[in-house]
Amino acid sequence: MQNKPLVEVKKLQKNYGDTEVLKEIDGTVMPGQVICVIGPSGSGKSTFLRCLNMLEKPTAGQVLFEGKDTSKFSEEELTTLRERMGMVFQSFNLFPNLTVLDNLKLAPIRVKKMSDKEAEDKALSLLKRVGLEEKANVYPSSLSGGQAQRVAIARALAMDPEMLLFDEPTSALDPEMVGEVLAVMKELAEDGMTMVVVTHEMGFAREVANEVWFMADGYILEKNKPNEMFEHPQNPRTKDFISKIINS
Amino acid sequence: MKAKGKNILLTIVTLCLSLFVLFTVQPTHHTTAYAADDSLQKIKDRGKIVMATSPDYPPYEFQVSKNGKSRIVGMDVDIMKQVAKDLGVKLEIKSMSYDSVLVAVETGKADVAMSGINPTAKRRQSVDFSEIYYNGGQSFLINKTDVGKYKNKAALAHKKIGAQTGTLQYNLAKSKIPGATVKGMDKNTDLVLALKTHKIDALGIETPSAEAYVKNDHDLAMIKSGYHLNKNETGSAMAFKKGSGTLAAAVNKSIDKIKAKHMTTQYLADAGKYMKVNTTNTSMIHYWTYFAKGIEYTLLISAISVIFGVLLGTILALMRFSKSKLLHAISVAYVEFVRGTPLMVQVMFVYFGVGIIVNLPALLSGIIAVSLNSGAYVEEIIRGGINSVDKGQTEASASLGLAKSDTMRFVVLPQALKNIWPALGNEFVSLVKESSIVSIIGVTDLIYQLNIVRADTYRGVMPVFVAMCIYFVMTFILTRVLNYFEGRMKHAK
Repeated sequence: MQNKPLVEVKKLQKNYGDTEVLKEIDGTVMPGQVICVIGPSGSGKSTFLRCLNMLEKPTAGQVLFEGKDTSKFSEEELTTLRERMGMVFQSFNLFPNLTVLDNLKLAPIRVKKMSDKEAEDKALSLLKRVGLEEKANVYPSSLSGGQAQRVAIARALAMDPEMLLFDEPTSALDPEMVGEVLAVMKELAEDGMTMVVVTHEMGFAREVANEVWFMADGYILEKNKPNEMFEHPQNPRTKDFISKIINS
Repeated sequence: MKAKGKNILLTIVTLCLSLFVLFTVQPTHHTTAYAADDSLQKIKDRGKIVMATSPDYPPYEFQVSKNGKSRIVGMDVDIMKQVAKDLGVKLEIKSMSYDSVLVAVETGKADVAMSGINPTAKRRQSVDFSEIYYNGGQSFLINKTDVGKYKNKAALAHKKIGAQTGTLQYNLAKSKIPGATVKGMDKNTDLVLALKTHKIDALGIETPSAEAYVKNDHDLAMIKSGYHLNKNETGSAMAFKKGSGTLAAAVNKSIDKIKAKHMTTQYLADAGKYMKVNTTNTSMIHYWTYFAKGIEYTLLISAISVIFGVLLGTILALMRFSKSKLLHAISVAYVEFVRGTPLMVQVMFVYFGVGIIVNLPALLSGIIAVSLNSGAYVEEIIRGGINSVDKGQTEASASLGLAKSDTMRFVVLPQALKNIWPALGNEFVSLVKESSIVSIIGVTDLIYQLNIVRADTYRGVMPVFVAMCIYFVMTFILTRVLNYFEGRMKHAK
């Protein structure tokens, strides 16, 4: 593991009108780290994630990417940032007007200026990696939720990002499909991908994460190794949350 | 709130600017008009004189079909042919609604307006007139059943009198018949229908026209008006653009000759013959070529307009979503303005108003006006379509590093288009119907042809009914076709 942080978050704050969603967030993501963000609904986990790739503009504070302040990025620099920091959404957000293959090819061709052939080869090998090569020519509407999310991961990977953000990737899935998506994510983690995962899958967090962050009320209340977090939570709010999850 | 106020301000500024440009264009036109009288020379150089007329006024001018081809005939046409011959030029006839013929000479769309026009003092303020070439006198058409009731003008006091809008007959009925309610309509064919259905009691009309109607319709009768009138105002004359002295002088020479030789008698007799041919077969099937031509033009205008309307609407919608405040304001102003003004006015503005700068043919003007109009409505449809695309799509696209323009082009617009397909189809269907308004500038669409058939056959309702059925069949088929594609699009998903 290298020593320079990939992402540093300093006193990040985000308001929607009068509502303070993120009050003060600090954190560091090192290259190759897998960080799982857990916490009750409405604690600001998704907003925090979306501030990392500037889908949401922070109200105050800084997000540094490789030491550079992302809030000062030009439109082009933002594009480059997002190229290098892929994102996977809860509701997949595949483009329904394009086939699975074209979903994967669009950004490499338009952004990376890849040739059609190159993009296609890459897309097919990624589909193979998530086990969906036979779905290359179908439209997203004919995929199951689990398949759609695996395609969405492959689509993010097509841009060769250095880091992936996952926004509750399994929350919209039927229970029997959660496993296939987590398996793909676990594989990615094992291959050394830097990941920030907002999730309710405590098993995954425990097994795969290097660090677990507990968020509540717009703060990160506790950061710890997974085992420590789940077995010896320090903060009373964390204790309460973990016990509720384990007993449910 | 503040941002919104700014937008409104920008909108108003853009509107004012465009109006300002329009008005500043005007004066240059006037100065050139008065500069030098080359009106005659221009026609000779061109080798062609253009006559504007409203061919629904037998025996002055009306349309007949022979061997499937329709043409405009009548006394006015014969006189004008003689004038053209004397000038040594060809004659081109442009047909349009009566309201438009004087505007056509004022704006240079035609050299001469000839449509049984009475040179009233008011009209003399805006156009030049030739000498009177024919003095037909004024009459009233009444129902034959009323012959005993309405023996003379005095009997019409406090009755309902019909007359063509903007004509001498209209003004006379208003000023000279005590207590009369005067009902104005654009076309004599409509007025005759109103008379026969007792919506009006009498119809003020020129004597030759009245005679033509009485001859061809046995339910009608006529009475002389008995107005005491200044001959210089009640006869028919040709109208020219102001400052056409040389042209008027040359035309007057021909008129003198025609009058001296009493050639109008022959012309009227010829017109009468045409009218007889005309009334032998008034079945609608006999006129199918008229309707076919009308359908052709209606579909042509609608199809071209829908294509350009969609193009324009897309551009306007993208401008609306643009970051540039100016582009946004232009788009908003355009849509508000076009939606806030009637299509009919826009059609007339493009044909006559823009015609001052560029001489556009009627069909092209019609297509331009309808396209510009449709663009505004399509913009609203597309805007709705774009808004209907899930925000997650834009976010996913942005998260992949795609530029905003690429996101629009490859992700949002294709999905928006699918969502708005039914609304766009609806717009196409309503275009087919609304394009009927271009008939006022003489584009031979279905409505225009319908009026010709009515004038031709002296049948008021049947042609309307036929046109109604045709419109329904067209839109019905169109709807089915659109539904078919909508269904296919759903399956493609």
